Amino acid sequence: MTKGQITNQIRTLRFLNGEMSQAELGQRIGVTRQTVAAIEAGKYSPSLEAAFRIAEVFGKSLDEVFQWER
Amino acid sequence: MPYREKVAWLSLIAMAVAFGPYLTLMTISPPTGPLPNLPALSFFAATVAVQLVILGVGHLWLRISSPQDARVPADERDRAIARRSLGAAYYTLLTGMVLVGIMLPFTSGGWMIINAAIAGIVLAEVVHYAVAVWSYRRGWHD
Repeated sequence: MTKGQITNQIRTLRFLNGEMSQAELGQRIGVTRQTVAAIEAGKYSPSLEAAFRIAEVFGKSLDEVFQWER
Repeated sequence: MPYREKVAWLSLIAMAVAFGPYLTLMTISPPTGPLPNLPALSFFAATVAVQLVILGVGHLWLRISSPQDARVPADERDRAIARRSLGAAYYTLLTGMVLVGIMLPFTSGGWMIINAAIAGIVLAEVVHYAVAVWSYRRGWHD
């Protein structure tokens, strides 16, 4: 199995969307503010469904929000 | 800190405060005499009562101090962490019960078996909440 980690652009995208709060993003995708913070910090890898929801909120494709880094 | 992490910390503290002294005392000076042993049973009942009081007061305090967080249903991360911690606790409990139910009867009896079973349950609960706290603190990547 190849080793790597999922990175994301959520912090940047929140900033570009009027400094959207973690709580607001969490509310829109159905998770808590703490879970959004954990995703942003790379401490939790969201489900595929949650990842698509996040991308949808920002009007981006999945690979513009999440990246796989080796 | 997520509400469910606070609950996990509370459960760990309640378990340590209530069952730490109980298991320590039972190890140092195990009860003697035939079963049932009223003083030992009373000590166990008091231990459970202490745990319930700590949990009751703690939950009340958490609900009063952060009422919105208490009402929020578990999200996918909470459920993933719950699955992971319960899985770890299950195998701990299974190992403990195999030791208590299959091996200890050949070497011990009476209160030794009872307290070993209690210790197994307590250890499984400690693993349950410790894995939950660890997962909230250090992250989750499955």
